[in-house]
Amino acid sequence: MPSRNPRMAVVIGRLLGLAFLVCFGTGIYSHFLQDPLPWMTFPTRPVGLYQVSQGIHITAGILCFPLLFAKLYIVFPELFQTPPVKSFTHLLERASIALFVASSIVQIVIGLLNTYQWYALFPFPFRQTHYALSFVIIGSLAIHIAVKLDLITKYWRKQTTPTELVDMPVSTSSTDEVADPTIASAPGTLTSSPARNAVIRAEGVTGKLFDWIDATPPAEPRTSRRGFLTIVSIASAAVVALTAGQSFKLFDGVNVFGARKQGIGPNGLPVNRTAAAAKIEDVAMDPDWVLTVANGSSSVAFSRAQLLALPQHTVELPISCVEGWSQMATWKGVRLGDLVDAVGARGGTAIKAVSLEQNSSYAIMHMGPEYVRDDLTLVALELNGDTLDLDHGYPARMIAPGRPGVLQTKWLSSLEVLS
Amino acid sequence: MTAVRRWQIGLVVLGLALLVVGGITLLNDVNPKRYIGIATWFLGALIVHDGIISFVVFGANIVMRKTGGRLRIPLPAILIVQGALVIAAIMTLIVVPAALKKSIGTANPTLLPLDYGLHLLVFYGVLAVVTALALGGYALLRQRRHVTAG
Repeated sequence: MPSRNPRMAVVIGRLLGLAFLVCFGTGIYSHFLQDPLPWMTFPTRPVGLYQVSQGIHITAGILCFPLLFAKLYIVFPELFQTPPVKSFTHLLERASIALFVASSIVQIVIGLLNTYQWYALFPFPFRQTHYALSFVIIGSLAIHIAVKLDLITKYWRKQTTPTELVDMPVSTSSTDEVADPTIASAPGTLTSSPARNAVIRAEGVTGKLFDWIDATPPAEPRTSRRGFLTIVSIASAAVVALTAGQSFKLFDGVNVFGARKQGIGPNGLPVNRTAAAAKIEDVAMDPDWVLTVANGSSSVAFSRAQLLALPQHTVELPISCVEGWSQMATWKGVRLGDLVDAVGARGGTAIKAVSLEQNSSYAIMHMGPEYVRDDLTLVALELNGDTLDLDHGYPARMIAPGRPGVLQTKWLSSLEVLS
Repeated sequence: MTAVRRWQIGLVVLGLALLVVGGITLLNDVNPKRYIGIATWFLGALIVHDGIISFVVFGANIVMRKTGGRLRIPLPAILIVQGALVIAAIMTLIVVPAALKKSIGTANPTLLPLDYGLHLLVFYGVLAVVTALALGGYALLRQRRHVTAG
């Protein structure tokens, strides 16, 4: 029996659908962390929440490659439906499938290329496009499930018996491994039950070639199906295991294809935006640098020496990039809560942090009270036992639990308490 | 109305609503000048996948079955070799862009820090060894089965 059958489409399809939903959920979470709606507050525990959610986002995205290829291979004969368009509804259905397939491929490819920072290949802004496409894909998925729901329910379980829900001819045979050719000849459609014998077929030359492939050499029972599932499983395990080390320490030992490697970089930590790229080397190294903390009319300027003279706290927090890589690190510095107290802030308060960096969408960062008042949120001065490297935000940077790296503002210039 | 029918209507409504959200997001967040770029990528994805990759896979499948049939190679052996090729191809698709981007140059040395080309070659090597072992294992199993049967 060939692996191109509706049962296999359901088996692989639900895994792929689940991976899409996981990517969508974690992606939306990441989006709103960066662009929160006014009423939103976010959990700060566990501290590795974003590390895990975004690590899963990228890893599940990579897993979509073998799953999507497998799914498209199973339904390949559907491409050769004859006639190509039967009715207006059929045209709509095929157009929606084309949109679904194209947006899915584009989405995972640009996602992967973004982790390589290969922006030059995109004639569009990555983040906005990736965000908009996520709705197109999940919307298309919902419609696709609706259209195929009869088939999905029929083939959800192994060896289901034909039910009343299925409006197609039903074969009574359940033991033959080879589908009855008289039933199996409906072009571009599924053959009838029993479930294990149904095949997704094409007509014409392609269909004949598929028939020939399926019969050459003569199929041994279930070999083809099991072989297909084994191949998909090994490919999936391989792409995940050999890249996930960029996000999860567990896989660091076998991280041979990840876009980042733990421990590589200044202070033993990878860097996303360097001081040179941010063009702040001179201002950041200026001995007269101060961090201005303001609350209405009250304002205090702290030199780095003055910050170092304040009570220092050491925290273990991950740096977790939107690109999915992350690493745990040891940070030492002043509690943000202590600094806003020094300018008379009371109770829960939000702040605006400004970087020395100009012309970056992340040069100004807003932080809600759940982070400002968290004991783990620091204005960090040291990293992994050494002075903060210039590429990691010297003279001072923000580090808070559960936030994406782009919001852990580097090269701080001022903090302003928002009323 | 059956439960399935109700689910179908609900899913279609949800799907259309999400498509509208996606469309509005695109209109609001992306400069219309960029739409042609997005459309090009969509079209390119369909051409590269449906027009090229799937036919290469299809053709390779035919060639392998033909060769396998002529040499009377049993299906599991063909599947083992095909599986190895598929796994190698998927890994190639994911890793080669990393190697290319690294050779073009990255924003800083901590991005794409590994030797992806070399690692890919090692991966092919390991895959080839595992494939050979699997083929050997299958041959042994088959032989034993024949001996038992005979």
